[in-house]
Amino acid sequence: MFHWLEKRPFFFAVAVFVVIAFAGLIEILPNFAQASRPVIGTKPYTTLELAGRHVYIKNSCNACHSQLIRPFKSETDRYGHYSLSGEYAYDRPFLWGSKRTGPDLMRVGNYRTTDWHENHMKDPAAVVPGSIMPAYTWLFKNTADIDTAYAEQLTVMKAFAVPYNKELPMADGSKATVALADTVEAARASALEEAKVIAADMKDQDVKDAVAAGQVPEIVALVAYLNSLK
Amino acid sequence: MENRPLEYDYTVAKWFMLTTVVLGIVGMLIGVILAWEMAFPAVNTIAGSGLAEYTNFSRLRPLHTDAVIFGFTLSGIFATWYYIGQRVLKVSMAESKFLMFLGKLHFTLYLLVVVAVVGSLLLGITTSKEYAEFEWPIDIAVVLVWVIWGMGLFGLIGIRREKSLYISIWYYIATFLGIAMLYLFNNMEIPTYFASGGIGAWYHSVSMYSGTNDALVQWWYGHNAVAFGFTVPIVAMIYYFLPKESGQAVYSYKLSLLAFWGLMFVYLWAGGHHLLFSTVPDWMQTMGSVFSVVLILPSWGSAINMLLTMKGEWQQVAASPLIKFMILASTFYMFSTLEGPIQAIKSVNALAHFTDWIVGHVHDGTLGWVGFMIMAALFHMAPRVFKREIYSKSLMGTQFWIQTLGVVLYFTSMWIAGITQGMMWRAHDEFGNLAYSFIDTVAVLHPYFTIRAVGGTLYLVGMLLFAYNMYKTMTSSRRVEESELQNASPMGA
Amino acid sequence: MNKTVLAAIIVVIAMLGFTYVAVGSAGGMGGEGDWVNKLAVLGAVVLVIITAFVVTKYVRQMQNDTAGGKLADENWDGIGEYKNELPFGWAVIFLGAIIWAIWYFLAGYPVNAYSQIGEYNEEVAAHDAKFEAQFANMDDATLNAMGESVFIVQCAPCHGLQADGMGGKAADLHQRLAEKSVKHVVMNGSSNNLLGTSMPMPDRNGLMNTNTNALITDAEIDAVAKYVAGGLKGTEGASVFAGACAACHGADGKGMEMVAPNIAQMSPSMVDMVLHHGKKGAIGQMPAFTNLTAVQYKALDAYVASLSKK
Ligand code: HEC
Ligand code: HEC
Ligand code: HEC
Ligand code: HEM
Ligand code: HEM
Ligand SMILES: [Ca+2]
Ligand SMILES: [Ca+2]
Ligand SMILES: [Cu+2]
Repeated sequence: MFHWLEKRPFFFAVAVFVVIAFAGLIEILPNFAQASRPVIGTKPYTTLELAGRHVYIKNSCNACHSQLIRPFKSETDRYGHYSLSGEYAYDRPFLWGSKRTGPDLMRVGNYRTTDWHENHMKDPAAVVPGSIMPAYTWLFKNTADIDTAYAEQLTVMKAFAVPYNKELPMADGSKATVALADTVEAARASALEEAKVIAADMKDQDVKDAVAAGQVPEIVALVAYLNSLK
Repeated sequence: MENRPLEYDYTVAKWFMLTTVVLGIVGMLIGVILAWEMAFPAVNTIAGSGLAEYTNFSRLRPLHTDAVIFGFTLSGIFATWYYIGQRVLKVSMAESKFLMFLGKLHFTLYLLVVVAVVGSLLLGITTSKEYAEFEWPIDIAVVLVWVIWGMGLFGLIGIRREKSLYISIWYYIATFLGIAMLYLFNNMEIPTYFASGGIGAWYHSVSMYSGTNDALVQWWYGHNAVAFGFTVPIVAMIYYFLPKESGQAVYSYKLSLLAFWGLMFVYLWAGGHHLLFSTVPDWMQTMGSVFSVVLILPSWGSAINMLLTMKGEWQQVAASPLIKFMILASTFYMFSTLEGPIQAIKSVNALAHFTDWIVGHVHDGTLGWVGFMIMAALFHMAPRVFKREIYSKSLMGTQFWIQTLGVVLYFTSMWIAGITQGMMWRAHDEFGNLAYSFIDTVAVLHPYFTIRAVGGTLYLVGMLLFAYNMYKTMTSSRRVEESELQNASPMGA
Repeated sequence: MNKTVLAAIIVVIAMLGFTYVAVGSAGGMGGEGDWVNKLAVLGAVVLVIITAFVVTKYVRQMQNDTAGGKLADENWDGIGEYKNELPFGWAVIFLGAIIWAIWYFLAGYPVNAYSQIGEYNEEVAAHDAKFEAQFANMDDATLNAMGESVFIVQCAPCHGLQADGMGGKAADLHQRLAEKSVKHVVMNGSSNNLLGTSMPMPDRNGLMNTNTNALITDAEIDAVAKYVAGGLKGTEGASVFAGACAACHGADGKGMEMVAPNIAQMSPSMVDMVLHHGKKGAIGQMPAFTNLTAVQYKALDAYVASLSKK
C-alpha cells in the first residue's frame, strides 16, 4: 500500500492530511462549547481596560509574564486562587504566556495598586532592587489608542454576543453592568472619565497634565488593565 | 527515462540560501541581545533610552523567534526544497517557465512579507500569539506565499521523471499540508476596523476564539509548528544530505516508513503538553502527556536510521566537518526528543513549565538540530550551486567546535537555571510559607543568564564564520568540475 | 564513548545534584523534600544518560560495523536504500509504547479518575494539617519569625526588605507615621477603616482647636503633624494636639476603642486593620490582603508592630 502511495502524490497528500487532521478534530472540538462560559463575577473589559490590554500586547508583556495560576499550593499562596476556565471567557486572545521571567499577573489587581505600578513601570529596579524588567518610560508619553479598543468592543459585542450594557451577576449577589458607548466620541469621553480616576492616584505631572488636557497616556490605560486583573 | 545529466536550475535555491544566512545572522544577533538583556538589564537601553521602546527585551523577543523561525529556518526549508526537489524528482526548474515564474514570485513575496513582519513587530503590531504574531494583512500574504509554494511543489512533482517519491519529498509534502492547516485555523480573526464600520486601526483584529479555546487552538498550532517547522522539513533535509554527502545508502526503508507515518500520526496529539495544569480538561492534558512519550519512538526512528546509515563509516565522520555537523544534529535531535517527552510528564512539567528549562529544551533543538542541519545543507549545496569548492575546511572545523561549545553552554546553563527557579518557586519554609520572594528567584539566575549569553555569542560567532566561508565559496574559491560533485563535497584547506 | 563525553556527563549530573541540594536545603524543605523536585532532577539525569548510552551504541557501530543489506530498486539522485529490517529494540519499544498509550487512555487514566483540582485540595489539606497543628500556639519569637517570613514574600515588594518604604514609595514601618501623612490626614480626613468600622476622621473643617475655639489653622497643622510624626514627644504642637486631637485619639495618642486609632504606635490590631482593608493616604495606596491564613495575619500583625518598637 505504501509503495502504491509513494507513486501517487495526490493520494499520498490526502493520506497525510487525514492522518494529521484526525487529532485536531478529536482533541479540540469537544471542548469548544464548554470552555467559554463565563463564571459568575466575570465582566467584559471597559474601553480603557481594553486599550490597556492592547498596550500590554503591544509591548509583549506576555513574553515574561504568565496569566495562569496552576492548582499548586505554591502558586495559590503566591498569586491567589487557581485559574478557572470561565474567567477567561472575554479574553481574546488569551494571555496565559509560556514563560515566567517575571511573576504571574492573573490577579495582580488584588495585591498591587496604581501608584505602585506607576513607580514600577517607570523604573522597576528602583522598586524591586535586582529586577531585570525593562523600564517602560515611553508608556508615559505615548497616547493610548482608545478608538481601536472601542472598535474591538463593538466587534465582540456583535460577533460573539459579549454582554455589554447587560446586567451581570456578581459573586456577592449584586449586579453589575459594563456600559458601552453608542458613538466613538462617547467612548472617548467615558474612557477619559475612567482615566481621570486613575490619574488622580498617580504622581507624574506630565501624565496628569495630559489627562487634564483630554488625552490618555498608555500608562494610564495599562494601569486600568492591570487593576482589572483580579 | 533519460540518461543525460540534467542541468538543474538553482536560481531560486540560491536566493533562499542568501536569506537563510542573512536572516539567520539577524535573528541570532537579536537572540544574543535578548540573552545579554536578561543578564544585564542595562542592555535594554543599548541604543539610548529614547530608542528603548524598540530595543527592549519584550519588543525584540517576538522578532527573534519569528526571524529565526520564519526567516532562517523557513528560508532554509525553501532553499533545500528548490535544490532537493529537482534532484530527487529528476526534473529541472528550467524545464517549466511556469514553475520558474512561481519560484521567483514565491521568493519575491516572501521577501515582502519579511519586511512587513519586521516593520510591524518593531512597531508593536502583534496579536501576541507565540509564533503567530502577525496581524491579518500579513496573514493573508503568508497564505499567498504558502499557496504559491504549494503550487510550485506539486507542479514539480507533477512533471517528475522519478515516479516513486523519495523520503525527503514525503516530508516536504507533510510540511506543506501541516503548516497550511495549522496556520489557517490558528489565525481565524475578525478585523475590527471593518466589523465596527471604520473605527480605529485598520490592521487590528480580534481572535475568533476566546480564553481556554484560544489556548487550545494556539498550542495545537504552536506544538505542531515545531513539528512541521523544526522537525519534519529538517528530517527531509537529513534524509537527503547525509546519504548524499557520505555516499551511503539509507539504512532501512521500513524504518523510514514507520518513522514517517508514526510521526505524522502521533505528533498532532501531543500539543496538550503545553497546557498541563491549565484550565483545559484533564483528559486532554493526559492525552498530550501520553502521546508525547510515544513520540520518542517515531522521532528516534529517523535519527537512528541516519546514524545507522553511517555504519562502518567512522573515518568519514572523523574526516569531514560537514558530516560532523549532521551527526551532531541527529544526536541533538535525539536529545531534544527525549527531553521534550520527559518535560511532558505531568509532575516534571509542574516544575519545568514557565522556567528556563523549557528555553534550554527549545535551544538544544533549534541550535543543535535545526541550526546545524541547515548549515550542513547549505555547505553541501554551495559547491553544487556555485560550482566552486567550499572555501575552507579548517574554518568549518573551527566553526563546528565553537558552535558546539556554544550550544552546550546554552542548554546546560538553562537547565540549571530552570530547575533552580522551578524548585525555588515551589519551596516552602519551616513555617509553611513561601520560602522565596519572586525577585530572589530572579537574582539567583544571573550567573546562568550570563553563561547563556556567552554561549549564544559563541554560536553567533560561528554563524559569522559560516557566512564568511559561504561568501568566499561563492566569490573566490577554486572552481570545480561536475565530476568532483558526486558525493563528498570538495573543500579547500 | 570517549573520556570527554563521560566527563561532560558527570559534570552535568554533578551540577544538577548541586542545584538540588543547594535549593533544597535553603528552601528548608527538610528531609523529605518535594518529590516533584526529585522527579525533575531525576528526569534530567536520565535524559543525559540515555542519550549518551544510545549514541555511544551507534557510534560504536560506525566505528566497527559495516553497512550492508539488499538494496531497493529505486535510486534517487544517487541515493540508495537498503531493505533492512527494523532495529529490533526500537520496534518492540514502539509497539509497547502504543499498547501502553491505549491501555493508559482506556483503563489507566479513567480508573484512577484523576482530577487536578482534587489533587490540589489534597495537597492543601495535607499542608494545612501539618502546619496548623505545629503552629497552633507560638511564642512571640516564633510568631515574629513567621511574620518576617510572610513579610519578605508578600510585603517587601512595596515596603522593601528593610520595611523602610524604599524612599517613600510605601510607608516606613519603623515609625508609626510620617509627617506628610499626618498633615495629609488632617487636611483631608481619612477613611481607611482603621477601626474596623467605616468611621472616618473629619477633615480640617471638622476639626476645632478647643484651645482657641477656632478651626485649626495651617500653622497649627504643621506643628501638630511634626509632633505626631515625632512620636508625640516634645512640646511644640503638644498643645494643639491636646486641643484638637486628644478628644478622640486620647491624650497619649494611643487611641480609643471605636473612636479613633492609635497614632502613637503601631499596634497589632491596627496592622490587622490595614491588612484587611488596605490603606490609602499621602504616600499612596496599599491593597487589602484577602489571601492569607489566620495564622499568617497574626504573625504579620506581631512582626510589623514589633518593627516600630525597635
Ligand atoms: C524581561 C522580562 C520582563 C518584561 C518584558 C516585563 N516584565 Fe514585568 N517583571 C519582570 C520581573 C523579573 C519582575 C519581578 C521583579 C519586579 O517586580 O520588578 C516583574 C514584575 C512585574 C510586576 C509586578 C508583579 C508582582 O507580583 O510583583 C508587574 C505588574 C509587571 N511586571 C508588569 C509588566 C508589564 C505590564 C510589562 C509590559 C509592559 C512587563 N511587566 C514586562 C520581568 C519583565
Ligand atoms: C472626631 C474624632 C477625631 C479627631 C478630633 C481627630 N481624629 Fe484622627 N482619626 C480619627 C479616626 C476615626 C481615624 C481613623 C480613620 C480611618 O479609619 O482611616 C483617625 C485617623 C488619624 C490618622 C491616620 C492614621 C493612619 O495610620 O493613617 C492620623 C495621622 C490622625 N488621625 C491624626 C489626627 C490629628 C493630628 C488630629 C488633630 C489635629 C486628629 N487626628 C483628630 C478620629 C479623629
Ligand atoms: C502594593 C504595595 C503594598 C504592599 C504589597 C503592601 N503595602 Fe503596606 N502600604 C503600602 C503603602 C503605599 C502604604 C502607605 C499608605 C499611606 O499613604 O498611608 C502602606 C502602609 C502600610 C501600613 C501602615 C503604616 C502606617 O503607619 O500608616 C502597614 C502596617 C503596612 N503597610 C503593612 C503591610 C504589610 C504587613 C504588608 C504585607 C502583607 C503590606 N503592607 C503590603 C503599600 C503596600
Ligand atoms: C518528541 C518530541 C518533543 C516533545 C514531546 C516535546 C515536548 C515539549 C514540551 C513538554 C515543552 C514545554 C511546554 C511547556 O511546559 O511550556 C516543549 C516546548 C518547546 N519545544 Fe519541544 N518537544 C519535542 C521536540 C522538540 C523539538 C525537536 C524541538 C525543535 C527544535 C522543540 C521545540 C520546542 C519549542 C520551541 C518549545 C517552546 C514552546 C513555547 O514557546 O512555549 N521540541 N516541548
Ligand atoms: C545565537 C543564538 C541564539 C540566542 C543567544 C538565543 C537567545 C534566546 C533568548 C534569550 C530567548 C528568550 C528566552 C526567554 O524568554 O527566557 C530565546 C527564545 C527563543 N529562541 Fe532563541 N536564541 C538563539 C538562536 C535561536 C535559533 C537558531 C532558534 C530557532 C531556529 C531560536 C528559537 C527560539 C525560540 C523558538 C524561542 C522561544 C522559546 C520559548 O518561548 O519557550 N533561537 N532565544
Ligand atoms: Ca514560549
Ligand atoms: Ca494572525
Ligand atoms: Cu510541544
